[in-house]
Amino acid sequence: MTSIRSAGEVDLAALDRPLAKLCLNCDLRDTPDCREAACLAGFARKVLKFAISKGILDIPGAAGLIPGHDFKPYYPEMIAAGLAETCRQCRECRDNHSPDCVISLVRHSLENMILTENIDYPGSVFAYLAAVKERNPDLAASLAKQLRSGQNSA
Amino acid sequence: MGRGLFKQKNGLYAVDVTAACGVMTPAQLTGLARAAVDNNAFRIKLTTRQTVVVLLPEGNVSALEEALEPLELQVSPFGNVVRPVKACAGNSSLCPRSLGDALDLGVEIQARYLGRETPKDFKIAVAGCPRGCTDPYCADFGVIAAGNDRFRIAIGGMGGSNCPRHGEIIAENVPRDKVFTVLEHVLERFEVLAEPREKLGRAVERLGLTPFLPPAGLLSAEKAVLAADDEFVQFLQN
Repeated sequence: MTSIRSAGEVDLAALDRPLAKLCLNCDLRDTPDCREAACLAGFARKVLKFAISKGILDIPGAAGLIPGHDFKPYYPEMIAAGLAETCRQCRECRDNHSPDCVISLVRHSLENMILTENIDYPGSVFAYLAAVKERNPDLAASLAKQLRSGQNSA
Repeated sequence: MGRGLFKQKNGLYAVDVTAACGVMTPAQLTGLARAAVDNNAFRIKLTTRQTVVVLLPEGNVSALEEALEPLELQVSPFGNVVRPVKACAGNSSLCPRSLGDALDLGVEIQARYLGRETPKDFKIAVAGCPRGCTDPYCADFGVIAAGNDRFRIAIGGMGGSNCPRHGEIIAENVPRDKVFTVLEHVLERFEVLAEPREKLGRAVERLGLTPFLPPAGLLSAEKAVLAADDEFVQFLQN
């Protein structure tokens, strides 16, 4: 049976859990300075909320809205937990990958918290780990640990 | 202009019926089924061009044709004309994969261009995302949604051929209204430059892509419309 990609196929709530932990540990939480559109974690959570409410997995043009000036410090192990979840949820669309896919939007938001550049998802977890390792070996090790554990421990 | 009426090996006639990119209302479908039964149709076949072929005796063809008009269906034009448009179920209400409004665009293209004379048959396919369920790179004119009011256009594809070829991209990020402008330009160039009964893809092979490219001014004002989903932008700000 042919399956059509919809929000129901992907556990968007699982993607949100590590992001929620990032929020809980943020100094700006519940302050007037908390602005989701300007915050990488806030943006990623908005993406997920929108996708869940609409039952979609692509938000055209959203990749261009990922905040570019969020320089808050984030805990690397929490980022690794989030990235691990994006690896678990990725449908490995390969040629048909869209930068506006909500999983990709969350992944890039998380990458921007710690890396200086985004990684084009190569379509396999192993290759992604290798790409992360080239840029940040500590993050790659933490990500590998998260993936081995099979759950979010952050 | 030819019409989609074809005598079959067994003596029956195949009547090729066109709807709006293959979309029918229940009333149209039941009306067509009733007309098929009333006219002794042997079988009904769905086609790759999203049309419906009704197989029936020659003596019943006219009666079936008469039954189509009140249903707002028609016999497909055939020969060297713009053929029925293929469009996927990509729009804001249907396919969750779609990046843009392909179905409604395809329906409008068909309404405007179906049956227009061309040097050789001219097939159009519209897809709501790069997955291309309607094979846009196998069509003479392929349109692929790339986002909100953004379409990629490829020309010169030939899916059914001894020497098939993929279409080549001639424009990116084209807004919906300009898709019609580009189509009009390509059709005009095709009519002027193609040899009699030469497919667009063969004309592109012979002349290169350049003579068919939209002139610089045609799309300049709409350069790379990359607006994000308005609803999401609003949601993000709230």
